[in-house]
Amino acid sequence: MNVSQTLKKFLPKRKMTLRQKEAMYGRLFILPWLIGLIYFFIIPFINAIYYTLTKIKLGDNGLEFTFVGFENYLYAFTKDPNYIRTLTSSIVNMLYQVPVVVFFSMFVAYVLRDGFKGRTFARTVFFFPVIIASGVVITILKENVMGDVNTAASGSTTLFRVENLRAILVNSGVPIWLGQFIVNTISQLFDLTWRSGVQILLLMAALHNIPKSFYEAAVIEGATEWEKFWKITFPMISPTLLVAVIYSIIDYFTDYGNYVMRMVVTQLNNGRFEYSTTIAIVYFGIIMIIILIVNKVIGRRVVYLT
Amino acid sequence: MEARVRALKYKASEKRQTSTFTKAIIKKKIFNLLKNLFRYLFIIGMSYVLLYPILFLISNAFRDKVDLLDPSVVWIPKHFSIESFKLANEILGYANSMKNTLVILIPSVIIQTFVCMMVGYGFARFRFKEREILFGILLFTIIVPMQTIIVPLYVKFRHFDFFYIGRLIGIFTGKPLTINLLDTPWTFYILNAFGMGIRSSLYIFIFRQFFRNMPVELEEAAKIDGCGPFATFLRVMVPNATGAIITVMLFTIVWHWNDYYLSAMFFTDNLPLSVMLTILNERMNLLNNLVNANDIYLLRSSVLEAGCLMVILPLIVIYIIGQRYFTESIERTGIVG
Repeated sequence: MNVSQTLKKFLPKRKMTLRQKEAMYGRLFILPWLIGLIYFFIIPFINAIYYTLTKIKLGDNGLEFTFVGFENYLYAFTKDPNYIRTLTSSIVNMLYQVPVVVFFSMFVAYVLRDGFKGRTFARTVFFFPVIIASGVVITILKENVMGDVNTAASGSTTLFRVENLRAILVNSGVPIWLGQFIVNTISQLFDLTWRSGVQILLLMAALHNIPKSFYEAAVIEGATEWEKFWKITFPMISPTLLVAVIYSIIDYFTDYGNYVMRMVVTQLNNGRFEYSTTIAIVYFGIIMIIILIVNKVIGRRVVYLT
Repeated sequence: MEARVRALKYKASEKRQTSTFTKAIIKKKIFNLLKNLFRYLFIIGMSYVLLYPILFLISNAFRDKVDLLDPSVVWIPKHFSIESFKLANEILGYANSMKNTLVILIPSVIIQTFVCMMVGYGFARFRFKEREILFGILLFTIIVPMQTIIVPLYVKFRHFDFFYIGRLIGIFTGKPLTINLLDTPWTFYILNAFGMGIRSSLYIFIFRQFFRNMPVELEEAAKIDGCGPFATFLRVMVPNATGAIITVMLFTIVWHWNDYYLSAMFFTDNLPLSVMLTILNERMNLLNNLVNANDIYLLRSSVLEAGCLMVILPLIVIYIIGQRYFTESIERTGIVG
């Protein structure tokens, strides 16, 4: 009450239509964000792009910039032995990890959907990764518990031993690429389950939002479970599936375990600010393009109710 | 005669019908049984995968030196010891780091939740021309992470000069007035106050979805009672948004607690817990005056695991207390696109 009254005093006394008034209040509500956007996002972003065109040196009065044009970009693409390699391997890994994560979360959300004994416990456990997976703990866990290749942690155990499985698959005549895919997926099962917490949440919320009457009508018509899934559930959750896919892509690329991400951080720690920013910007430019393509391709098949 | 035949036929068909009916029931029962069996198997298996690391941490952290070399100890240590915890506490500086964390965390969470709620409400309930395009930009900021703009941000906070006021003063005094905000929690407070804190865009998105689903009648009633938009927001909308607020608060707590990238960037002293944990491994040789060199080598991973456990323990407690609200409110508010 008081706030709006005092505001009224300071705002221009011009006669406004109801529409204009509404628009003004709307703008006032988002004003903090808008200031932040300009001051802490857009200006730094433009600065960052400028940095990539310079060479930064630590001088007497802080940082000194010398303009060098596209040298940093050229270095990343033609001279750096690691960048292109890590970049392509990141993208290729993403291409098969994201579908697996999304299918897995859809499956879990479907299983946890309706009431059964121990549902609370199951949900607590399944959302556990949301709490831990975003932090530094997961990196240490991965290195210590999973025995990551980079560290020789003493006394570490491997949760999923898959070397035997590979031999079995090859001997039983499964095509090598398919066997490789299965083995890769299983060896990363830990990673995949730990990555899908938020997606499970999203999809479960979507499943709960489907009106029960749809299913009742389908049962009366004599639909089987299989038909109910493909004719009702799947189209109804397709907008959320799109969100989940895009979230998974972003999550995969911005994960600290990602090698390009590690490169960005190490270069920054080595004091090569301009190069670190260059590879980061190229990297996120590529992610943007991938997300736009995915959005176009999947977006066409998404069904919106309203 | 004919009537008898018809009666017999009818009886037969009735029999057939009931038998197909019972068959269907049995079929359904078997299907449900299998479904439940499969579901529980799946849940138990997944729980193992998801809880394994925590159990592993607990089991290892409580081990004594003797048990670390004993291959017959698999899960339950034969000699319990909290030595690893003592050592981890020593390196982490637990009490002090915890204080540093909370100094950043508590105001940040409150400011961030409130600002995001306000912006989300603005996006959800008011119509203005540039709303859609601004919302598009908001979604874009979710995708671009801090890493691309961290260096300019660092420079900005090193010579902080709010809206170039310092530079304006500089015209008169000859030297621009800037403040070094690094190593103070103000870096986080300011970012949060302007909706640019850790994952703020996501929270704005969640609040917008939530407020869009609120009934318009609530607002109209408030308006008739003489509330302006801000009073409506504070008195009607905020009290009704408890579910969304709890969800977002839990997210902000978790993500601020786990953040080490920004903290490591902005802080050199007064490090919060998450950053201390990243350098725990390197600081292991600080233990030289507490235990002898051979033991350090042995205890290395055990201390690291104890440290991990100490850092995530408060989070787990908060989660277990809040998880009911958390999962339920997410289902109800539906953070759906």
